Amino acid sequence: MTDMSAQTEPLGGLLTRDRIVKWAPILVLVALVLLFPFFEFLEDLLEGKDHFYLLDSRFFSIRNAARIGIAAAPALMVAVGVTFIIIMGSIDLSMEGTISVCAVLFAFAFLGWGGTLASWAWLAIPTALLVGALLGFVNGLIHVRLKIPSFMASLAMGFVGTGFALVLTGGDRLRVEDELFRSLLTERWLNFPIMCHVALAFLLLAWFIQSHTALGRNFYAVGGGEQLAQSSGLNVARVRVMGFTLAGIFFAVGALLAVGRIGIAETATGNNFMFVSITAVVVGGTALWGGIGGVWNTLVGVLIVNVINNGMVVIGLPSYVQDGVLGTLVILAVALSTNRKSVTFVK
Amino acid sequence: MSFIKNFIEQETVSRRNFLLASAYGISGAAAMRMFGPSPVQAATFADPTIAWSYRNRTNPYWNEIVSGGEAFVESLGKPKEFLTHLINEGSSEKSLADVKALLAKTNGELALAIDTNDAPNARPVVEACVEAGAYVSTLWNKTDDLHPWDFGDNYVSHMSWSDEGPAERTARILLDAIGGKGGVVHLGGIASNNPAIERLDGLKNALKDYPDVELLDAQPADWDTQKAAQIMASFITRYGDEITGVHCANDTIGYGVLEALRAEGMDIPIVTYDGNPQAVDLVAEGKILATVFTNPHWGGGITASLAYHAAVGHFKPSDEPHEHREFYGPTIFITPDDAREFKANYLDNVPTYDWQDFWGPSNGQIMYK
Repeated sequence: MTDMSAQTEPLGGLLTRDRIVKWAPILVLVALVLLFPFFEFLEDLLEGKDHFYLLDSRFFSIRNAARIGIAAAPALMVAVGVTFIIIMGSIDLSMEGTISVCAVLFAFAFLGWGGTLASWAWLAIPTALLVGALLGFVNGLIHVRLKIPSFMASLAMGFVGTGFALVLTGGDRLRVEDELFRSLLTERWLNFPIMCHVALAFLLLAWFIQSHTALGRNFYAVGGGEQLAQSSGLNVARVRVMGFTLAGIFFAVGALLAVGRIGIAETATGNNFMFVSITAVVVGGTALWGGIGGVWNTLVGVLIVNVINNGMVVIGLPSYVQDGVLGTLVILAVALSTNRKSVTFVK
Repeated sequence: MSFIKNFIEQETVSRRNFLLASAYGISGAAAMRMFGPSPVQAATFADPTIAWSYRNRTNPYWNEIVSGGEAFVESLGKPKEFLTHLINEGSSEKSLADVKALLAKTNGELALAIDTNDAPNARPVVEACVEAGAYVSTLWNKTDDLHPWDFGDNYVSHMSWSDEGPAERTARILLDAIGGKGGVVHLGGIASNNPAIERLDGLKNALKDYPDVELLDAQPADWDTQKAAQIMASFITRYGDEITGVHCANDTIGYGVLEALRAEGMDIPIVTYDGNPQAVDLVAEGKILATVFTNPHWGGGITASLAYHAAVGHFKPSDEPHEHREFYGPTIFITPDDAREFKANYLDNVPTYDWQDFWGPSNGQIMYK
């Protein structure tokens, strides 16, 4: 989390607004993790079965945590990427196209250069990251040089990406069946598949960039007050382009994990990532107007979204209720993190 | 939580009935001013524009459909670019607007093959074509009260598939494989899609004969591999070893289910639908028990061919019997025994079809419930 002590009253009581805003996401996550087992408990109770709360829960188990981890890992990478952009007060909606292009180009390169990690085909991985960086870079340039609002520039780039991926594949899907690459899913360390550990490693890297590099601090500077940052001599345009490039790299990591998860690269690989990642970032407490939040918020947000997705099915609710619940949560999260007294108008 | 689920299901069903009833009321009124069949042959064209209007090419199914349309155009000795693509991206409004624009551009000299994206959109599309003197053949979507024979020659044909029967047969293969006892889960398509509803109904029909098998759960996976993997993982959490078989609404869902099972080191029988090449490979390897091939390549080609040959006057649609104007597309079952042979015959070398054998592979006149 970011250091918010400057904005917090030191002795303002236990339940200050800032404290609530800061801790609300994690409280929601804990509440959800305790809530779903409670429904299981209720269900077994009504059926007259023995059920010890939490201990007998199928939801509250390591195996299920691993399943949530598998579902969350690619989305986490994408959400972390877009977190940097949102901290700057911009938004990046190009993830679906970028993911599809990275996934498809990765698969072409991987299959073309040997088809197994034990050959030169491993070079397909850095290639995919490079492609992600390039797409992000172009995205940033369009936004900064042509002065197109980031949501429009990135949305358009996303469509370009999806179209490009379609041209590349002609609508076909590419299978990546290499056992070594698929060990991302099949091999487990400490009960969690390797892809979860990879995601964790990149999360730590993102945290390092955010809090221990000039670039990371500049993101906050731009998001906190762009004009101030500009007049203090910061090259805002450069920071923005670098931010989009960095996001592109994280989208590419997400694409690799998504391919590792199902063994298929196709134009549809990027589907649904926009909704999930933006929702996760916002629910995690990163403010849409920038300057507030960070990658740990995003981790909590991604977990909230995936715990809901998993838990709803586990307690037997139809999945379309999930969308309603997630939508409500987004409104709640934004309402909580908005200081309405300081906002005079909303556009 | 099952009581909440039951309540929601009941509400959904009654709302759907209400919507259907009101839709019928509106279209029934529209039917009052229907075009009568014309005794004279409508005007034909020497070289009409040929167009396919569909969702998009991202989806492998639609990709196959359109490749059939291109194969047909090539069989006429034209380059495949001769086929005009109208892509509606899932919007009925865009579908209709595109058709009207093309009608204006071609002055009605058009042979159109179209899936109108949703059923209510079929009527305005057909009426626009008839009014302009163009020839149209529809695939998949139309309302039950809209019939080609009510529009003389210009509404040439409609082809669809009833998925209930084939889905029931794959379900029986699955239920037999698990020894007629245990629990199955179903992962469906987008909940409101007709094929998704029919494929689940097929499973439910089959289950009536297997009293010892319980349908543990059915959730929509939106035809999406990644979503299917996540839902299957959640099913495993909820039901664990109670799941002895999985019924999937299509192949892409099946891939996700297989990966979710693989992550857990589980191996239970699954059946899918659509007969995509990858699924056929998996059937041959014994990882999928059965899938159903609906030959979208043929469907896409023959729909364009019907509109074209009617437009150039090679046959007069209104002389044809009803079963030649509204008919079911082909269904071919693929099981491990015949998967390799099927693949060699249909997928490795796409057969050269006789695009004037309009009804040979079809499956009888469409019946309404």
